[in-house]
Amino acid sequence: MATTSTTTAKTVPDSIVQNKYSKDRKVGEGTYAVVYLGNQVSTKRRIAIKEIKTGIFKDGLDMSAIREVKYLQELKHPNVIELVDVFSTTNNLNLVLEFLPCDLEVLIKDTSIVFKSSDIKSWLLMTLRGIHHCHRNFILHRDLKPNNLLLAPDGQLKIADFGLARSLGNPNEDLSSNVVTRWYRSPELLFGARHYTGAVDIWSIGIIFAELMLRTPYLPGKDDVDQLDVTFRALGTPTEQIWPNVSSLPMYNALRVYPPPSRQELRNRFSAATEKALDLLISMTQLDPSRRCDSTQALLHEFFTENPRPTEPENLPKKKEKVKSEDELDESNKRRKI
Amino acid sequence: MSVGTEIKREAEENVEQPEAKKKRISNDDLFRRSTQFEIWSYTQESLDKTKRAANAAGAKIATQKFNETFETIEKEQPEVFQTHNETLNKDKLLTLLSFEEEAKYLNYYTQNIIPIAKFFKMPTQVKLTAVSFFRKFYLSNSVMQYHPKNIMYTSVFLAAKSENYFISIDSFIKALKDTEAKDILDLEFIILQSLQFTLLVHHAFRPLYGFFLDFQAVLLHPSPLMYDVSVNTLGSLYDKAKTWLNDNVVLSEVAFLFTPPQIALAAMYEVDKRITDRYLKRKFLKEHHELDAIKEEDSGVKKEDSEVIEKIESTESVENGEDKKDGENETANEHKEKSTVESQREQYETLVRTIRKCIKIAKQVQTSSREEVKEIDRKCFYALNPKRLIEKQVKKVTKEATTS
Ligand SMILES: Nc1ncnc2c1ncn2[C@@H]1O[C@H](COP(=O)(O)OP(=O)(O)OP(=O)(O)O)[C@@H](O)[C@H]1O
Ligand SMILES: [Mg+2]
Repeated sequence: MATTSTTTAKTVPDSIVQNKYSKDRKVGEGTYAVVYLGNQVSTKRRIAIKEIKTGIFKDGLDMSAIREVKYLQELKHPNVIELVDVFSTTNNLNLVLEFLPCDLEVLIKDTSIVFKSSDIKSWLLMTLRGIHHCHRNFILHRDLKPNNLLLAPDGQLKIADFGLARSLGNPNEDLSSNVVTRWYRSPELLFGARHYTGAVDIWSIGIIFAELMLRTPYLPGKDDVDQLDVTFRALGTPTEQIWPNVSSLPMYNALRVYPPPSRQELRNRFSAATEKALDLLISMTQLDPSRRCDSTQALLHEFFTENPRPTEPENLPKKKEKVKSEDELDESNKRRKI
Repeated sequence: MSVGTEIKREAEENVEQPEAKKKRISNDDLFRRSTQFEIWSYTQESLDKTKRAANAAGAKIATQKFNETFETIEKEQPEVFQTHNETLNKDKLLTLLSFEEEAKYLNYYTQNIIPIAKFFKMPTQVKLTAVSFFRKFYLSNSVMQYHPKNIMYTSVFLAAKSENYFISIDSFIKALKDTEAKDILDLEFIILQSLQFTLLVHHAFRPLYGFFLDFQAVLLHPSPLMYDVSVNTLGSLYDKAKTWLNDNVVLSEVAFLFTPPQIALAAMYEVDKRITDRYLKRKFLKEHHELDAIKEEDSGVKKEDSEVIEKIESTESVENGEDKKDGENETANEHKEKSTVESQREQYETLVRTIRKCIKIAKQVQTSSREEVKEIDRKCFYALNPKRLIEKQVKKVTKEATTS
């Protein structure tokens, strides 16, 4: 909730902002925002301030910024990044976000860390809970990938980056198919579908699930054409039998026809996966979006109730050096104060 | 408990964690967490109070500006002000808009959003959101501070972006008279602030579609309940309800006073009272056994059914609940537990009362004559530009003095 007292159109002077939040150092820069680390002065809570550049775009406030504010204001859930506050300084829009020091991509790439199957189950479960909350609020994320699944110091996974999100809902409304980072893009999007559902997010999560098991991207297409080839080589080329009307989608072309993978082939590829894990993976990566499971079905899947139980978030693997450097940072902060 | 149900229970916890032990979260519960409910729901009284406060604050600002301007000009030519003291006098010259005038003026501008949206071929969603932004802006600001013309344009421009119907600023201003890109871009951020950075607006069209489907399920299956009601009848009811929403709700303030499902039902009730009433009765009064069944086995189709019921139960409107934040959840629970005939009748009656109230308010849109608006427009101009007003008067009296 915007706790700013801006009920009238006044701008909070910078000094007040600095009293409420401290801006310590810049940690990153995206296309439309600069991200700083800081503290909420009253609580000493660590926060990230995403300062959105305004007045630099020809068409005013950037669409991604608008979407991010719009959806984060509504979504309050343990597995969705928390928007702590919104305030404005002269010509800038500032999003105060909970501080999330790591992301899933970093962990996947760190080969010194071993993932237990219970760890993977825990991350997958938290991702699904977060997306379930989005979908039941009729919001599609449309850019799920390990890099946008951030990790809190207590191990909780948080879905972040709602710059591509949008509301689902009005029947017959056209949607853009140019969404989702390529490797996590579902077949209906690759075919240019103008009508789609939360199934695009479920596909992305299925591909992330596979990546967590493989420790390498599952379907790394080199370009959009290659993405189709990589996807269908792994999962079979969709035909009218398994996906009615697929050939009427705008970009459907007579592709190389790959047979769907046999169960044994999948077992070989995901050698550590249980049968239930494979069932869920298959269900989330159905080529026909109407056959793909939704977030409720995924959460109710027996994979989550069979042993091993999902790892408690606080016991999940963490980025080792990163945690250390944060400690060091805290140490040096303390020293400075003394 | 069998193993099967145990697993199911655990799995359900997966879905609802961390509120594991609570009941299922209904659409209604979700709505109660929306900013639309938390920030932008009013009772008729609180809405009036808010608007009066905005008008009063605007008047205060305009008065201050007027006084400062008056004193500056007076200092430049004190003798003129002394001689024409009965005309060039603060009390006489000060021009402000009354609460009623401001309300009329805002209604006029709200109506103007419709042709603009039409011109740009914007979907209904954009139009409704633009109206919402515009109205919300003037719950904390006054036309005596911000002239509504550019606020209106900027509301449309921002709503288009927020609803994913992007229009470049160049093509937008090309269609407008005497408005430049800067006029709009400078206001965009100010509007966003007045909206308290909340952009998601729930409209009645989605629940209306949901009711359209549920009317079919309830009134046509397994066999038609009313001899003269078919899919076509319901289809035409749905279309007319959409039109009614477009014609009435857009211009009224019901969106601040009722929930979207309530407004949707009001539209259907207004279009066809007989069918809608039959549906409501069927939902509330004739389904004791089915309601019990829903409570006991939470499965499949029935689950969806119970969601629809919860949706309707949300009718304990924003309007009726004094202490909405705590009170409402209890009401919902209460409704579920009491499944006696009386409480169902009570629910039904409350709902119908709410719907009727909504219809009544939706129809109370006041329109003003062109002359009236022109006069308000003139006053608003002077409230915003006291210098022009005073100088004009000074010119007038000095001219009269020289000619006579
Ligand atoms: N809540 C947060 N806590 C800690 N660091 C964050 C947080 N949010 C963002 N960051 C850091 O700031 C960087 C920039 O984030 P931002 O979301 O603006 O852009 P991005 O997603 O990396 O890029 P793009 O704008 O191209 O999508 C991120 O890469 C991350 O390192
Ligand atoms: Mg990102």
